[in-house]
Amino acid sequence: MSLRLTRRAGLLGSLAAPFVARTAFAQTETIRIGTLTPLTGAGGAYGPAMVKSIRAVVEKVNANGGVLGRQVEIISEDDETNPDAGVRAARKLIDVNKVVAILGTWASAVTTAVAPLCWENKVMLFTVSGGDGITRLPHQGYIIRTQPDSALQAERSGKFMLDQGAKRIAALSAQTPFAASTYATQSRVVAAGGGMSVGDIIYDATKTSFRTEVDQILKLNPDTLFLNSYQPDLAVLLRDLYRAGFEGKRFTLGYAANDKLLASVPQEVTEGLISYAPSPDLDSPAFKQVQAVIGANPDPYSCQTFDHASLAILAIAKAGTASGPAIHDAVRAVGNPAGQPVSDILEGLKLIAAGREVNYSGASGPCKFTAIGDISGCKFRFDKVEKGQNKLIELS
Amino acid sequence: MTSYLAAMAVFAGLYALMALGLNLIWGLAGMINLGLVGFYAIGAYTTALLSVKLGLPPLLTIVLAACLASLTGGIVAIVTARLKGDYLAIVTLGFSEVVRLVASNEIWLTGGTSGVSNVPGLPRGLLSAGEVNIAYAVLTWIAVVAAALALGQLSASPFGRVLRAIREDEMVAMVAGKRVLRFKVQAFMVGAFVLGGAGALYAHYVSYVAPDAFLPLITIYVVLALTAGGTGTMRGALLGSLIVVTLTEGTRFLGAALPDLSPVRIAALREGAIGVALILVLTFKPQGLLPETPARFTPEPT
Repeated sequence: MSLRLTRRAGLLGSLAAPFVARTAFAQTETIRIGTLTPLTGAGGAYGPAMVKSIRAVVEKVNANGGVLGRQVEIISEDDETNPDAGVRAARKLIDVNKVVAILGTWASAVTTAVAPLCWENKVMLFTVSGGDGITRLPHQGYIIRTQPDSALQAERSGKFMLDQGAKRIAALSAQTPFAASTYATQSRVVAAGGGMSVGDIIYDATKTSFRTEVDQILKLNPDTLFLNSYQPDLAVLLRDLYRAGFEGKRFTLGYAANDKLLASVPQEVTEGLISYAPSPDLDSPAFKQVQAVIGANPDPYSCQTFDHASLAILAIAKAGTASGPAIHDAVRAVGNPAGQPVSDILEGLKLIAAGREVNYSGASGPCKFTAIGDISGCKFRFDKVEKGQNKLIELS
Repeated sequence: MTSYLAAMAVFAGLYALMALGLNLIWGLAGMINLGLVGFYAIGAYTTALLSVKLGLPPLLTIVLAACLASLTGGIVAIVTARLKGDYLAIVTLGFSEVVRLVASNEIWLTGGTSGVSNVPGLPRGLLSAGEVNIAYAVLTWIAVVAAALALGQLSASPFGRVLRAIREDEMVAMVAGKRVLRFKVQAFMVGAFVLGGAGALYAHYVSYVAPDAFLPLITIYVVLALTAGGTGTMRGALLGSLIVVTLTEGTRFLGAALPDLSPVRIAALREGAIGVALILVLTFKPQGLLPETPARFTPEPT
């Protein structure tokens, strides 16, 4: 019995140690920013690169002396693509690490679950989630979303499919908060443009085969399929469509048709796949910086989190204090249309230090936000896969 | 820090409640229920929908939620009456997935994958954000202690003895004149009541329910908690849930200790650590850390 007690005491002691270390850490002068991305689970394919591009921004700022004379510390947590784990991770970031902002929440369910913690504790939340309901939460301005909401995306993609000669469009969608609304909006746009939406199937993305879904949708005889998927399920879906002999056009989303997909699926299967994404500003120096960190074709999320970090740091510089409310108040001011156009964080910091107005436009686009935190004025890019490579066919 | 620990105490308490509910169904009655997250989800959705859509007071909706989960538990027990062991495990696992898929697809009722947000909780105006967490931790653990005492009483009562008899040998219990099915259904209903209650508390604490929160992973965590703590005892369930939350959340602090590792590696390491802990417990303490010590009948030497 006495042995057991000692063991238990030892266990408790070793568990307490990191807490003690953390508290000591918290007294230094760093500005702490949290990242909450999926590193495991369904979103595990995206989170690592998102963190990488955030770290790139922060390392650059730190190497140049930090912001307001203080170093920026990034604390990265894994939301496990699960709202439950996301809430616990966010609690740690907010209560223990005392972060001023949380960057990069990806799954809409995680963002919705974490958002109340953020606005209650006055921590700024930057997200890439597309769910329409997110910016309609009573968030008091504590949410900034760099992903266009699904209504805008659906409208653009619907028009583009018509332009490409689509007459009978069907959709296969992973079960997401925006699956049904995307199809509804697309149908409206397509009908107005003389096309026809022949039906949609919502599938469970964790399935390992989609033969049933593919057979069902092909019965409707579509000439164009819209695949509202993520990368792992798209890989399976494309193979099943290929096996079924579907020869019509296939449209999907940029984050699904990424390099990882093209590397894992044979060329003849992906040939001709068209994808669209809110376009990063391809000529902007910020985008080139993301390319340098992530690779030639960074996915839209990495570009967006790059901007999350830049916006948060610029807002801190602009406000002159590092806190959630400070970022909340200043995040739109660093995109002042009357200011000096800037896309490099160091240049921006320099101008702000000199008391000038800046107009930040980043890797993901112009970074202008509406009153409820949605992105406005965003370009879209359309890519077509040729011989296993994405080729830009339109930017508008 | 205090409010973080309080928040973790809430989650540990929720796991403890689930482990207690599971303990009655599995630990005592021997029915392997891998569908517990389904009952948890039913509890969470019921209270969320009743309080958001109908505006009923949370105290009432929590009780209604637990009752509905209990009723579902009774139905599941009757439907699966002839199943045992692995087969029961598979069917109950299927049940929880059915609940989750219904929640994802019946958009008119559950909001689909967008879930139900703004579930009312404790009034935020009166208490600061930190105090709210502490209040929740206290409330959750009051529920845990109440459930542990009540279930402990039940387990020590003749009812508990019959359940253990059914677990050891159903035929013997039947021969002894016990109506096995009735006892099984009752055990399932009481267990599911606690599971549903845990789900309801969760919904009001997090203020948001969505299908993604009810993945089979939670079932695995709770089964792990009960296995590590010791099946069949209430204190085993409590200890086990504390261990699981310490493992899953404590490992988040690995990051500070290992600054050279990338966040992805740390995430993988966390999952690995949880797996290794389970293997160690099962290897060295297969009965759990606080195993059941049954009062054995020792025949006198003749």
